[in-house]
Amino acid sequence: MVPVPKGGLIISPDGLTATLEMKNVAVVDQPKWPALDAVGMPAIMSFRMIWKATDEKIIYDDPQKQFRVEGYRAAAQIEAQVKVPSIGFSWKSDPLSASQANFAIIGDEVNGRYYNPMK
Amino acid sequence: MSSIDDVRSYYTRRSFLSTALGIAAAGSASLLLSDDIAAGNKPQQLKLRTYNGSTDPYPIPWLDKNGNHNQPAGPQLEPSHIYHFKGRVARCADFVGMGTDNRGNRIAFGTPTTDYGFMQGEYFAGRTPQTGAFTHI
Repeated sequence: MVPVPKGGLIISPDGLTATLEMKNVAVVDQPKWPALDAVGMPAIMSFRMIWKATDEKIIYDDPQKQFRVEGYRAAAQIEAQVKVPSIGFSWKSDPLSASQANFAIIGDEVNGRYYNPMK
Repeated sequence: MSSIDDVRSYYTRRSFLSTALGIAAAGSASLLLSDDIAAGNKPQQLKLRTYNGSTDPYPIPWLDKNGNHNQPAGPQLEPSHIYHFKGRVARCADFVGMGTDNRGNRIAFGTPTTDYGFMQGEYFAGRTPQTGAFTHI
């Protein structure tokens, strides 16, 4: 998990569409993860991702784990580039429109100290 | 230590599916470590710290106390990576897509655990409400 720089996350006023774009994020490429002997190499990742809410509402409420999410199932797409300089490798995805996530949601959540059970 | 050739041949055997997963894992682990730990070999230095912990977001305790959110997005699952949080969230998983590497090889990406998300809003850390936006990649 990394902080999103200012301007990197744009959410529409109605909350139904979000665009997340970050450039040159320092990550570690660890192809064998989670194997104990997984070797990690410094890598750089840039990406743009879009979530668009569908009409399907969701409410996930779990009093035991103390979280509640209210929102929508969504369509999500991503385009990304990854560079692993130490091995001279780079990879670039096809355009955003060519990808899709089989599961996505967008909404509002409360958890922990902010959670109150639904009545 | 492997030679460069070993590393390259190692790469050619791998699948980008697991690459994406590895990147996600590494990214997840980095933020919730304290600066001292993340600095690796740097000697520890005395710093002024909040008595009750730093102002970094607190991980979901029942998922992984070390801050590695070992759970892809899914129905009825906790989307946030931050505990004591209220705000906007989005998650997605199980991507299907293709790309091309710098040698012209077409490589697919996406598994059920290739998941991304963001959290934007208020979280409680260091005994006071904080605000911020974070992503899991």
